Amino acid sequence: MICAAPPPPTIERTALRDDPLTRTRLLVVDDHPAVRAGLRELLADEADFVVVAAVDTAEAGLEVAKREPIDVAVVDYQLAGRNGLWLSRKLKRLPLPPAVLIYSAYTDGVLAAAAVVAEADALVSKGSLGSDLCREIRYTAVGEGHLPALPPRLAESLRRRLDHDEQALFGLLLAGLPPAEVAATLGLTSAAMEARLRDLLGRLEGLPAAPRG
Amino acid sequence: MTRAYVPLLHRVAAINALLLTAAVALTVVVLAPRKISVLALDGEVLVVLAAVALVVLVNVYLLRRVIRPLQALIVFARGVDYSTLDHRIEGAEPTSEAGELALTFNEMLARLQDERRESTGRVLRAQEAERLRIAQELHDQVGQELTAVLLGLSRVASRAPSCLEEDVLAIQDAVRDGLEDVRRIAIQLRPEALDDLGLTSALAVLADRFSEQLGLEVSEHIPADLPPLPPEVELVVYRVAQEALTNVARHSASSRADLMLSCDADRLRLTVRDHGLGLPPESLPGTGMRGMRERATLIGASLAIGSPTSGRGCEVRLEVPLAATGPARNRERRHSAR
Repeated sequence: MICAAPPPPTIERTALRDDPLTRTRLLVVDDHPAVRAGLRELLADEADFVVVAAVDTAEAGLEVAKREPIDVAVVDYQLAGRNGLWLSRKLKRLPLPPAVLIYSAYTDGVLAAAAVVAEADALVSKGSLGSDLCREIRYTAVGEGHLPALPPRLAESLRRRLDHDEQALFGLLLAGLPPAEVAATLGLTSAAMEARLRDLLGRLEGLPAAPRG
Repeated sequence: MTRAYVPLLHRVAAINALLLTAAVALTVVVLAPRKISVLALDGEVLVVLAAVALVVLVNVYLLRRVIRPLQALIVFARGVDYSTLDHRIEGAEPTSEAGELALTFNEMLARLQDERRESTGRVLRAQEAERLRIAQELHDQVGQELTAVLLGLSRVASRAPSCLEEDVLAIQDAVRDGLEDVRRIAIQLRPEALDDLGLTSALAVLADRFSEQLGLEVSEHIPADLPPLPPEVELVVYRVAQEALTNVARHSASSRADLMLSCDADRLRLTVRDHGLGLPPESLPGTGMRGMRERATLIGASLAIGSPTSGRGCEVRLEVPLAATGPARNRERRHSAR
């Protein structure tokens, strides 16, 4: 088959690349080297993205985000050590919190529910096309990321596993209320809210609700 | 069954009769040697012969009483159901050798049963651990590498000349299918829903999956709340349901099945029923059925497979005595791997 040579990068693209203000600053956190490299290359190809760092652990990701402004963190759920939802909660407590997109092999209901509690902004399957991932990152960057809806039966069985107070908290979060408003609604101090969220997340992730960072 | 030997009773009786006859003859020769020469049978000889015959008969009767328990033991031993090893000889007392033998036989059966339960448990635990390992490996290695390929292909797609576009898209679809397969296989190997959500929800998810993927309409009757169950009981109930539904989908030619779970104070009951062909009259248990039975044995549960009392089709029923499974342990949830 005879193919035409790929077109050279357009002037427009180059111009965009040179303007740091219009580009979305990304942090990539994935513990698989090939996926991390693939993400870095794919995202670096996009004219409107700049990959600030690509790291392999949640802790390293948090360090980067403390040093540098990040617009969107693209985070694998399962990491060696702390997982992506732990990182999401930590990132959301930075002075300038980035948007968080969880990039995971499984995007089933349980993770979607846990992602809500961890205040993640979007959930994208690792089986998505690169173009779809980029589109979702752009949505997430402008605050329009979305988490998959929880199937009613799953929501019901999750609720059944929670105690009364947790059910109220979970219900309000699922309804899309920001945590600050939820805390106000339930009359919780921010410290109490923090502890509640941590326990709830532990419960949803199926981990014992032991003290965690 | 024809015997290739002379039964013990016949041998002992024959030897005894022979010895008795010889002893009587010898006695007669010693006490009254002259009488031997007299061929005519007089009254004394008849009495002696009658006495010998009587003693032989009494001997046979007594021997038969002694040997009967041994024969019963043989019949019992032939009839032992080796799939369950549940039978024991009733009323065995250490009052005779046969009684001791029966007791020893009972002990042997009990030990065999214990050992089988233990080794079955070991095998099944090893199998579950291996499944978990494979599921994790599939996810952590194969799945991640396919994701990397997909990301690479996306880059290729954005730069490829238009004449390659269709090919790249086709490859991308193939990789996505591969990823979906990896995910499906990993879930079958390791029911994550069970780890995450517990038995009732995991069964609901299982029923949904059969409906979606295999077109088997599963109507479930699962109570909202169950008492806390030990993890191994949950796993066995889940696996039996999975296997039974797989059998329905594969063999029953039925398009719908009922999945029922009920629980009272002392037992948990799982029933999977279809409305299909039913069991073939002389079906041999396959590996799937054996696996279900082994798992059931492991938690002291009973498994019955047969036709339902009304209607046609096949019914698999698992009954788990809840007291026998020990006090419900504190639900330490297994860490689920994603």
